Amino acid sequence: MSSPSDILPTPFPGAGELGPLLPPLTEQSKPFFDALREGRLVLQRCAGCHRVRGLVAPTCPYCGGQSFSFETMSGEGTVHSWIRYRRSYLPAFEALMPYVVLCVELDEGARIFGRLVEDEPGASPDPYAGMRVGLVLERWPDGGVTHAFTRRRESGP
Amino acid sequence: MTALPPVAVVGLGTIGCGDFSQESLASMTNRAVSAALADAGLERREVDGLFVHIGSPRGLDYDELAMLLGLKVELAVQTWSHGRFGATVIGTACMALQCRLIDVALCVGAFKSSIFARIGETGSIGFFEGMREGGGPHAETPYVGMVAPTAGAAMSTRRYLERYGIDRELLGAIAVAQREAARRNPLAMMRKPMSRADYEASPYVIEPLRVLDCSVPTDAGVALLLARSDRAAALAQPPVWVLGFQGVHAGPNEFIFGQPGLGIHQADVFDFVPRGADEPVYRRAGVAPDDVGTLHCYDGISTQVLWTLERFGFCPPGEAAAFVQEGRIGLDGELPVNTAGGHLSEGHSNGWGHMVELVRQLRGQAGERQIAGLRVGQWATTLGDSLVYANELA
Repeated sequence: MSSPSDILPTPFPGAGELGPLLPPLTEQSKPFFDALREGRLVLQRCAGCHRVRGLVAPTCPYCGGQSFSFETMSGEGTVHSWIRYRRSYLPAFEALMPYVVLCVELDEGARIFGRLVEDEPGASPDPYAGMRVGLVLERWPDGGVTHAFTRRRESGP
Repeated sequence: MTALPPVAVVGLGTIGCGDFSQESLASMTNRAVSAALADAGLERREVDGLFVHIGSPRGLDYDELAMLLGLKVELAVQTWSHGRFGATVIGTACMALQCRLIDVALCVGAFKSSIFARIGETGSIGFFEGMREGGGPHAETPYVGMVAPTAGAAMSTRRYLERYGIDRELLGAIAVAQREAARRNPLAMMRKPMSRADYEASPYVIEPLRVLDCSVPTDAGVALLLARSDRAAALAQPPVWVLGFQGVHAGPNEFIFGQPGLGIHQADVFDFVPRGADEPVYRRAGVAPDDVGTLHCYDGISTQVLWTLERFGFCPPGEAAAFVQEGRIGLDGELPVNTAGGHLSEGHSNGWGHMVELVRQLRGQAGERQIAGLRVGQWATTLGDSLVYANELA
């Protein structure tokens, strides 16, 4: 298990409050969001089959195992798929149009969604499947923290 | 095992698609129900089972519906608050009839989507499923900026196009074929001619999906009446038999967008192998995909047509985009698909416009759209649910 140092969040470049965009926070989902505030991305690893899952769930979707532990992810991964918003749906993200959301396969195996952080949205080259990305954290004006991804420099063939 | 008694659709009522925002849900629903009863030659008091697809706030809940429409039923079932469950509503009615719990089933798909003003908008504000514990039903994850069903569809579409090396502009054949069919459907919302150039000029909503890849929000009201064979034969319309049914599949590998194995949302990554004629719905109906004369599928997004063709074995994985070219899914094609225009052009009726069209086609009442010599029609979706209808018992 890797133990990367905590990531310092940068300010969320959009606007508004994170609170209304969060699912109900329960004892089960809190560890994920609490860890983000502490500078880490954590997901559940099954104690039975040892696979990491992307959605917080009481049962392992792969083997049905009931035991798990939250584990800190390296935050490194590759792009599995991606989309680019050409119509704004959420006021909080409007200033970031046209923003990209990635489906990232983390090196630990789980796939999760996260925005691609870009200096000039729409001006960078398109992402592509297999592109390397790394975790960034963003702090919202109301103090909440969410995860996003940034391009990693190509390491060559 | 004793054979189950056959069940048929015996009555059909629809108010069509459009903006009914000034009409009450009760009035919309009542018009559809009254039309279905008149069509079948049945009295309101003869309905003893009620099967409601979409409840409050977009539709009427079962209790309100029965109360305001003067229905006295002994069995009421209601599914959820938006799409997906049309076939399940009808399949559940069939089971209740076959178990002789009831004699006449009323299935209702009536709701308002006029609150979703723009094409591609469904699911932004006021679509509370996005805030569920496990994420939205289309992988909505609002806290990372991912909302609207179109987003999950776009994510799967991109993966699918790359996985099989498909040119995204091939998707245009779906919207164009369905628009061409809708032009011959007086109930359709979108009847203006559409060319491939029009499609390619259509702006992106969420890349790689264009506006014309997205369904048209509509209000709708459809009622279907079903009865067993002992009752069906003596009624006013030719019966349309429900030969086979299979339900909505669910689980970590079932995501509404994509064939299984694309690895979006919680789904795993694997090579999808369709079961084709071994799908239970075909075995139950005693038919094979080759026997199907028209396919009707849930098309909130154009790519769902491709994934359904592949899931049910009409095309090998990755080949549906090539198959739908050259008019093969048009009214005169090899396999006419969504012949009333579907969600993309008739209006997003959550599958009920498709059910109306299947019944009309199999009765021989589809007018300008009639498929000659049709015997078997199928409803199928990317979530695996399906109904096989026929105009004669095998």
